[in-house]
Amino acid sequence: MTDKSSTARPPIERIPEEIEVLASELESLFSQGLELRWGDEEFEELALRAFEAQFQHNPVYRRFCERRGTVPATVLSWRNVPMVPTTAFRHLDLVTGDHSAVEAVFRTSGTTSSTTAPGRHLASRLSLYRASLLSTFRAHLLPDVEKIKFVSLIPSPTALPHSSLSYMVSTAAETMSSETYWLVDGNGVLDSARLRKVLGELALQGEEILLLGTVFAFVHWLDELGGEELPDLAPGSRIMETGGFKGRTRDITKEELYNSLSATVGLAPNRIVNEYGMTELFSQLYESNLTQLHETRVGHTPPPWLRARALNPTTLEPVGEHEKGLLAFFDLANLGSVCHVLTEDVGRVIGGRVYLEGRFAGAEPRGCSRTMDELMASRRIAGR
Amino acid sequence: MFDSWAIPDAVQFPGATCFSLGPEFSVRCLSIDSQWLDGLANILIEGNSTLRKRSASDLARVLGIVGSRFLEEGDPLRAKALELLPRASGLSVPMARAVLDGMAADWVEDRLSELLSNEFGTSDVLDGFVQQNGCRTMAIGADLCVQIVAGSVPGVGVTALIRSLLTKASTLLKPGRGDVVLPVLFTKALAVIDPDLAEAVAVLYWSGGSSDLESAVLSRADVVTTYGGDESVQGIRALTPVTKRFVPYHHRVSVGVIGSYALTSELVEDTARDVARAVAVFDQRGCVSPRSIYVEASGEVTPRAFAGYLASALEVLEQDLPGGYLELEEMAALQQVRGAAELIASSDSAVEIYHGGRASWTVIFDPDAELECHHAGRMLRVEPIVNRSDLAKRLGPDRAHLQSVGVAGLGAELEVLAEELGRIGVSRVARFSELPFPPPSWHHDGGNPLRDLVHWVDLEDEGD
Repeated sequence: MTDKSSTARPPIERIPEEIEVLASELESLFSQGLELRWGDEEFEELALRAFEAQFQHNPVYRRFCERRGTVPATVLSWRNVPMVPTTAFRHLDLVTGDHSAVEAVFRTSGTTSSTTAPGRHLASRLSLYRASLLSTFRAHLLPDVEKIKFVSLIPSPTALPHSSLSYMVSTAAETMSSETYWLVDGNGVLDSARLRKVLGELALQGEEILLLGTVFAFVHWLDELGGEELPDLAPGSRIMETGGFKGRTRDITKEELYNSLSATVGLAPNRIVNEYGMTELFSQLYESNLTQLHETRVGHTPPPWLRARALNPTTLEPVGEHEKGLLAFFDLANLGSVCHVLTEDVGRVIGGRVYLEGRFAGAEPRGCSRTMDELMASRRIAGR
Repeated sequence: MFDSWAIPDAVQFPGATCFSLGPEFSVRCLSIDSQWLDGLANILIEGNSTLRKRSASDLARVLGIVGSRFLEEGDPLRAKALELLPRASGLSVPMARAVLDGMAADWVEDRLSELLSNEFGTSDVLDGFVQQNGCRTMAIGADLCVQIVAGSVPGVGVTALIRSLLTKASTLLKPGRGDVVLPVLFTKALAVIDPDLAEAVAVLYWSGGSSDLESAVLSRADVVTTYGGDESVQGIRALTPVTKRFVPYHHRVSVGVIGSYALTSELVEDTARDVARAVAVFDQRGCVSPRSIYVEASGEVTPRAFAGYLASALEVLEQDLPGGYLELEEMAALQQVRGAAELIASSDSAVEIYHGGRASWTVIFDPDAELECHHAGRMLRVEPIVNRSDLAKRLGPDRAHLQSVGVAGLGAELEVLAEELGRIGVSRVARFSELPFPPPSWHHDGGNPLRDLVHWVDLEDEGD
């Protein structure tokens, strides 16, 4: 891999005004939360303005679009805006606008191979990222309470300064947490003694909490507990889990994890919310049963400023509403980089919601060469 | 519905269930448990006593009779294989035919006899004691050889089966997911012409990695071979008792080197055609499929231009040997690599990319090895080399996984280079046209295809 940050800086002296204007507009819209209805036309107009800005002020992306014969004048829908694959974030700094305005660099982790470059997402619009994550976090995890105690099995941003997940949790904690316990260090080591003590005390006090962690962290913790049940958490408590179900520790199904977590801390499984996000996108999707008790599988809801599509993997044309395909996202919170991102994740998009698909059950690698497992494991989102 | 097993008549039928092995290919799988497998192992081990009485050359003859049926136009066995292979393996119809022809060419009597004599000098050494190296010695095959193949290059299972049977080992083969058809057809055909021999053979597929089932058979084996990615091989190794002989064929990659002699304007198109064919066979799934091509920068045609020739050759080949079906995850990987390469090519980099759109072939000219390629379909990376001695350095990081190196136009220095490559782990240097189908007696991953499966017993002079 080559880090192009030193060679590919475009000669842009100042932040172009149209990006500033659009960014302020988006920030204000994001801050109004998920209740605000966005029509297709409104999204379209903002998306095309974002594309125009990225085409004008992201030279690599512009040449990429031109190679494909795509210029803003010929693009009538956000769906036709050229997509950048997530892999490209491993190789290029995809900044729109002034590189000196980059406020933070987030890196993917979870690479199993030392030869795999981590992906990086340079944030030149942290305020937009914050506005997006705060509104979604609030709507899906704390719609009913102003503040709650955070018990986090996700490392703090001090421990992992380049983790977008740590950034997300700490940013949410700034405004939504009455107290935050960080119980996993930068090496992923869980302070299980302290976790047990904290959960015990909070349960005793009947204090509602938000317990946050990756699947890996939870599985590790549950393995350590070996089936032991802890005192029941206050009924209004909730859990946010994130990350893949296949990877470093052991394979576990979502149902197994939820049942096991639920039994351990005495919370109903519908109090567990899944967050789906990736370093390459500044917005997140949530699958929440907190407010939708009667649906068995509700899917991941995007915020109104993110649109998802499932694409035919060969043609990259949209598949039918109930068919599975490669997931692509147009995320307006990515204004400072590139909005239209093609992932390797597979799912269906029904009524705007995303239904993630597991891999083909029992799939074996084809051929005696590198296994697909190695490939998939190299880019998981846990601990992103 | 295809039955994914061929087992001795003496074995009780345990029932079967349907299982999908791909979008258009469903099979019935035996409903087995460890106890049933243990019973199967008993029967196979019993069957070994008849196998032991046969001469190795007779085994080569019988196996060759069955093997050659896969080559005979009009033979129902070949017809059946050609009918099932495309759906079962995901290869296109013409490609499935090419793969069957290439693999089965080594399953005929002449080739098997040649394999025996290459490995042992004389096959008599499998039949009794012979005088070798100053003492009398005999090669003893396993009572039971268990072979677990993960992966799906069609033909690998039959080749594995033939090898162990030639050493007179009763064999239980679990074929790879995309290679179920050929070993089952082979064994069923064997049962018709030589029922005694077939009593020592079982081929059966079960889904995924089920450590209970695998442990049950591994504990009964004398010799275990396994083919697959590093993780699968590691998994089987962990389940195999330490006292068993373990022959691993783990993840391997192959590459190619083009010297300046093959880069003249007269030869370049032929060179590109040979490389393209080596890439296309098995749709790059084989360990013998070249993933990266290193092109000498001193030739008349530059490495960048050669990448273009390769792209044209792959496009042409798409007509004769179309690419097969890719799974969703493979397509996902392909789209990622193509998109990333296009973006890098749009930066200040020298990277260039050519691809076939809906066809999977993709050539990435990547002089500084910027892009990490996850291979899916017919994907090829082209890198220039200024100096041949750089090659070993460039390949060094992959040494644990290197297997074959395709060569063209290297002239008199080939032997020097081959030795250098050998020292970093390469086990085969061959012309591109020969790359996909190594001869039966090749030193597979640097080992001995048959000798690795036997143990020797020496009978020293009694001193009378």
